[in-house]
Amino acid sequence: MNKTLSRSIIMVCACLFLTACIKDTDFDQAEDIALTPVVELDLIYFNLDARQFYDTINSNPVLTVTDTTEIKFLDDSTLQESLKRAEFYFKFTNGIPRNFQVDFQFLNEANDTTYVAGTSVSEGLPTAPVITEYIENVEGDDILRLTQANKVVVSVTIASSEENLEGILNLKSKTTYFLEY
Amino acid sequence: MRNLFTYIFSLVGLFAFSQNKQILYGFDDIPQSLMLNPGSEVTQKKHYGIPFLSQIHFNGGSSGVSAYDIFKDGNDNINDRITRQLFKMKHTDFFTATQQLELINFGWRAKNDIYFSGGIYQEFDFIVYFPKDLAVLAWEGNRDYLDYPFDLGEISTTGDFMTVYHFGLNKQISDKLTVGGRLKLYSSMFSYRSVNNTGSFVTRLGDNDSENIYEHIVQDADVSVQTSGYASLRDLDGASQVTSEILGRAFFGGNIGVGVDLGFTYDINEALTLSASALDVGAIFHSKDVESYRAHGTYTLDGINLIFPPLNEGDSTLPYYDDLEDEIEREIPIDTLHNSYTQFRPTKLNAGLSFGFGRFNSAGDCDCLNMGGGKLHKQNVGLQFYAMFRPKGAQMAGTLFYHRRITDYLSAKATYTVDSYSFSNVGLGVSTDIGKLNFYLAADNLIRYGNLAKAKSVSLQLGFNIIIDEE
Repeated sequence: MNKTLSRSIIMVCACLFLTACIKDTDFDQAEDIALTPVVELDLIYFNLDARQFYDTINSNPVLTVTDTTEIKFLDDSTLQESLKRAEFYFKFTNGIPRNFQVDFQFLNEANDTTYVAGTSVSEGLPTAPVITEYIENVEGDDILRLTQANKVVVSVTIASSEENLEGILNLKSKTTYFLEY
Repeated sequence: MRNLFTYIFSLVGLFAFSQNKQILYGFDDIPQSLMLNPGSEVTQKKHYGIPFLSQIHFNGGSSGVSAYDIFKDGNDNINDRITRQLFKMKHTDFFTATQQLELINFGWRAKNDIYFSGGIYQEFDFIVYFPKDLAVLAWEGNRDYLDYPFDLGEISTTGDFMTVYHFGLNKQISDKLTVGGRLKLYSSMFSYRSVNNTGSFVTRLGDNDSENIYEHIVQDADVSVQTSGYASLRDLDGASQVTSEILGRAFFGGNIGVGVDLGFTYDINEALTLSASALDVGAIFHSKDVESYRAHGTYTLDGINLIFPPLNEGDSTLPYYDDLEDEIEREIPIDTLHNSYTQFRPTKLNAGLSFGFGRFNSAGDCDCLNMGGGKLHKQNVGLQFYAMFRPKGAQMAGTLFYHRRITDYLSAKATYTVDSYSFSNVGLGVSTDIGKLNFYLAADNLIRYGNLAKAKSVSLQLGFNIIIDEE
């Protein structure tokens, strides 16, 4: 009886260990794993005073003001490979009684323009600011051009200006990055 | 990032568990059971482990997900499966891997009836808790999680690679009680830990008074990683140099620690036996080649504030981006520290209550009426308890077992274990003596051996010893 039992146990063990396997699985599916996070991130913001559009020293209107900032992560090689779509959202709150043209010029390391975007902003009043929203959707081949850039030049052009002009032009902006790793 | 996810999920169920050796515990026919309870009842006169072959132990597991859950054949998309599992798992789920290799193991009964035993083994032990919030952030992004504070405190992981030198005593001090202790010296070759982290990251929709559309807030962050034996590896060239350097620390070349194992076996009566042990009660003192990193602080990111300064032709613009980077580094500095630290070993507790029946004699037949005969029972049934102290609390397991001495050269133990991984863990161990050569093999989760991909944990111990029995 003991021999029978011991043989049985040895056989069971042998069967279990020899037949141990991994089945009904397909590890090649690992190739199909795709992370697709959607990331919301603030971009730039500003508060432009109407007085910045008039040179009081020389008594001249300043019709266009510009500023530039680097956005170093934009031309990062990882982002270049994984960014499928970018949606820029700009929200202008204009308390200046003038229309504006706002342009965004994306430049690469050599200061060559790779992508441009722009919008007009409706006039408002200091007591009754007017909101203008603008969405720039970038996808397809434009993504390649956008992700060549590492800085953006923001140009704000006022229709006309005078010394006593009052009010604030406010911008808030964010970008939604649709990524795929 | 995708590679990281692929790597983690590929290892799931194949390479990840705790250090529970429920089959070996109390399996007195195998000398290595002394390593689980230095106060166990030793049946042999001497034993010598075959060098490098006396115990090969591998243990891997995942408490929340199996490889099959992710990689099963099916028409549904693997990414949908990962998403489902991601939300099913909890931040207390974990992936662990433990590997031990005995280099030397020996023991002998001295004239004063004390059984001395000692040896050297190498151990690798790793655990990472599932940082659910950060995994969700990486998998889905923050768009659908506005106002949700992602918990940075879920980051919790430790890893150790060491050599352990040990020497123990075991003595039956009365008819009923056997006690034992083992002193251990740890020679740490490499260690890291990131535990007790705090802080959160939240993206909030700003109101009218906010600077920008969102506020990205890192709140009260305090995240640190302690390493020892790592800094000196950075400058080495290639895997061979790294391997050579690490192995060079095996003989007390790295950081040193000390610990004890304690245990006892108490025969309550002829049939009932109670045993318990505490293993690795000790600490490693990391003072050499220590490097720690700590990021801490609170910061709110609003984006880049353009001020349109009046510039003349040729003037450079303000370094907004660099200033922003500097501000973040100032508010959440990452310090590199070289302070010594003490790392407590993850203590393991074992306990067992065994009911023995039938007297065992070398003829193998049950001489059930021979109550005054040999001390060994032919069969034992009982229950065992196991606990191991990990960063987020104890991992516990309960086991029912049946042990049978079949012949004088063969004994077997079957176990049913309930633990963090499953409620269906059946294990089996056999110990066989061919002359003086002892061979043992123990494995659990046997039900899953038909398809290991479905196993959330696997455990395997095997080894060879020379056993010289009492005359």
